[in-house]
Amino acid sequence: MTESGLPLAGLRVLDISSFIAAPAAAVVLGDWGADVIKIEGPDGDANRRIMHDSSNYPKGEVNYPWQMDSRNKRSLVLDLKQPPARAALDRLIATSDVLVCNFPPPVRDKLRLTYDDVKQVNPKLIYASLTGYGESGPDRDRPGFDVTAYFARSGLLDAQRYEGGPPGVPVPAQGDRATAMTLVSAILMALIHRMKTGEGSWVGTSLLGNGLWSCGVIAQAALVGAYLPHRPPPDRPRSALGTIYRTSDDRWLQLTIVREDKMWPGICETIGCPELLDDPRFATVEERRKRSGELATILGKAFASRDYEHWRKTMSAHGITFGVISRPQDVPDDAQAVACGAIVDTAIPEMPRTLANPIRLGFAEQQIAKPAPALGQHSDQILAEAGLSRDEIASLRASGAIR
Amino acid sequence: MSEEALPLSGLVVLDISSFIAAPAAAVALADFGADVIKIEPPGEGDPHRHNYKNASYPQSDKNFPWQLDGRLKRSIALDLKNASARAVLERLIGRADVMIVNFPPPARERLKLRWEDIEPINPRLVYCSLTGYGETGPDRDRPGFDITAYFGRSGILDAARYEGGPPGLSLPAQGDRATAMTLVAAILLGLRQRDRTGKGSWVGTSLYANGVWANGTSAAGALIGAKLPPRQPPDRPRNALTNLYRTRDDRWLQLLVVRDDRLWEPFCAAIGRPDLTADPRFIDRGERRTRALELGQELAPVFAAKSYAEWEGVFSGTGIPFGVVGRLADVIDDEQAAHAGIFADTTNPEVPRTVNNPIRLGFAKPRTSGPPPAVGQHSEEILRELSYSDADIAALRKAGALG
Repeated sequence: MTESGLPLAGLRVLDISSFIAAPAAAVVLGDWGADVIKIEGPDGDANRRIMHDSSNYPKGEVNYPWQMDSRNKRSLVLDLKQPPARAALDRLIATSDVLVCNFPPPVRDKLRLTYDDVKQVNPKLIYASLTGYGESGPDRDRPGFDVTAYFARSGLLDAQRYEGGPPGVPVPAQGDRATAMTLVSAILMALIHRMKTGEGSWVGTSLLGNGLWSCGVIAQAALVGAYLPHRPPPDRPRSALGTIYRTSDDRWLQLTIVREDKMWPGICETIGCPELLDDPRFATVEERRKRSGELATILGKAFASRDYEHWRKTMSAHGITFGVISRPQDVPDDAQAVACGAIVDTAIPEMPRTLANPIRLGFAEQQIAKPAPALGQHSDQILAEAGLSRDEIASLRASGAIR
Repeated sequence: MSEEALPLSGLVVLDISSFIAAPAAAVALADFGADVIKIEPPGEGDPHRHNYKNASYPQSDKNFPWQLDGRLKRSIALDLKNASARAVLERLIGRADVMIVNFPPPARERLKLRWEDIEPINPRLVYCSLTGYGETGPDRDRPGFDITAYFGRSGILDAARYEGGPPGLSLPAQGDRATAMTLVAAILLGLRQRDRTGKGSWVGTSLYANGVWANGTSAAGALIGAKLPPRQPPDRPRNALTNLYRTRDDRWLQLLVVRDDRLWEPFCAAIGRPDLTADPRFIDRGERRTRALELGQELAPVFAAKSYAEWEGVFSGTGIPFGVVGRLADVIDDEQAAHAGIFADTTNPEVPRTVNNPIRLGFAKPRTSGPPPAVGQHSEEILRELSYSDADIAALRKAGALG
């Protein structure tokens, strides 16, 4: 598949955003052929350093988060606070199709980067806005992050906890990446609108809105006054046959026994406790539910005595249904992760594999990931394409407006 | 805003899918103007119609999940296993733009619903496939659910936990609903391609790939051998001043005193423990980090003595930062959520408010929804649009093809 055959070939995207959700949306557009220009301030996107700055990130020799969130982009450094740099940006806006922006609203005002500012430069432009909390209201100016806006404020973390336990813990950027797909959808809607009407438009989404969309079932329940009780912790489950157990190597098995009456003998065999079959305390489904704590203690001891691999094999052999709780380190070696297109090869020698975006198209393959750009790597090239002369570029450079 | 102005008005979508991820994508298309026809088995219809009785859902006598995932659709009850139904289906396919399918691959083969079966009937169709684990590979035929494919298999649940604690919890359909946005993006890319080439196409995604994408930071780390650092539980903090504390009313306060070089004294004053500033154990930043556990033990009973609302009052105006761990009960009346367009009114008295689609467009508002359809509510209406006569419809009914 040549680049020109990709569905977004010919589309020029200005990624004036930082961190993850909005830049990841630009990555997806780039995967499908768009020419993505990343515009960074002189210090660069802070996501270039997040692996070191965040204590919650896996640490590696390779700057994998930056590689993933910037693949196939070109980097232009513009100090937008300087008027000549801002003027150069207008030249780019005039020749672009999409602008992705995640500055908090006051910064947009200051930099003249609101939709009203840029549509005068290019009325056909699609302006994609990401905010933490929306475009108006008391918290519109508050910077929003994945953990605070998508997870905490939305009620997700409070709901994701065991009874009596602390709030749930999201994995890094989990909500950001989900939100990226919404932003992509919003941009594609605007492209359809432009095709129909010839007009550009404002589109956007918020992290808070996406958090609530993802927990839509319980949010919709709350709207009719219904709430989910917190889940009992694994040591006192509602059902000992529908809960999780720790193995000797600190992994977890999710028992998902639906036909309990049929599977009970098999379970007793599997865990090496055939005597349970004759135990009157656990003779029926009702008795087992009533004594779920007692039964969970017995099963817990049994599962804790052997490792995960042992149980996986033994349970499969006995036809006992269970859910796989993979560790992140298991995913790279999972053949199905490659088969579903989640893991793909790159053209980056130091990071030979990466994650594809989850969209699959019968008519096109995602562009192979090439190394993410160094800060300002393509500044001259991009400005020259936008029609700036060598002298203009040199004078911008001399003034420190570009790097 | 007239319906004609919506970006997807005029688009006919066949929703031949069940449960949540794929039907929720169809909802998002309907929100923006598409005519969505839900094809369901006669009788019980989509099993999701009965999910509100599911023990893991908030308990309500109102069918709130169906409102959310069935809104703005028309229902035709068609028994796809009945030979006479096939002709009806083919006529529907003949005039559709998009078809959404989530049967596991073996069922698609049996029902002749694979893209290669459909393409000859309507080569301009965008065929959208959702699977649990992808279209090929050892697990392609395995039915995938949110909790198993998106959360368990992707490594999210294992990663989303405190050190030494059980795996994290996911909420009902949390991954399904995030995946829906990926399907929307895939469909819109398919439509764009059709505009460019005149040809339909296969597009799709899998729950597994979406889980891995959401877990992308950890998964990309795993691809280069980097491991997620364990999260300390609140009773064993690494830094007691950026820790979670339980309040008297069993809520949690996320303390975010990062600048304790400046804020230590005001913090101690605000929480009513000015004595701590003189405590040699906590005299500077280094000591406070080294004795995080001790400091956490001092602070926990302090926070446990007041309610969440009291703490909000205590910290208000002090400049001491803390994160809001929201509860859904509050979120549904959150002024900011209203500004962000997160909830919308319906015209269904039983479920008067619903969760809006997170895509926001400057040029169009999502449609207002009424009650979702009963099984087969629009069967005759839809058949007449396909030029079936009364006699034809009666014959289909007699053959048992129609519900």
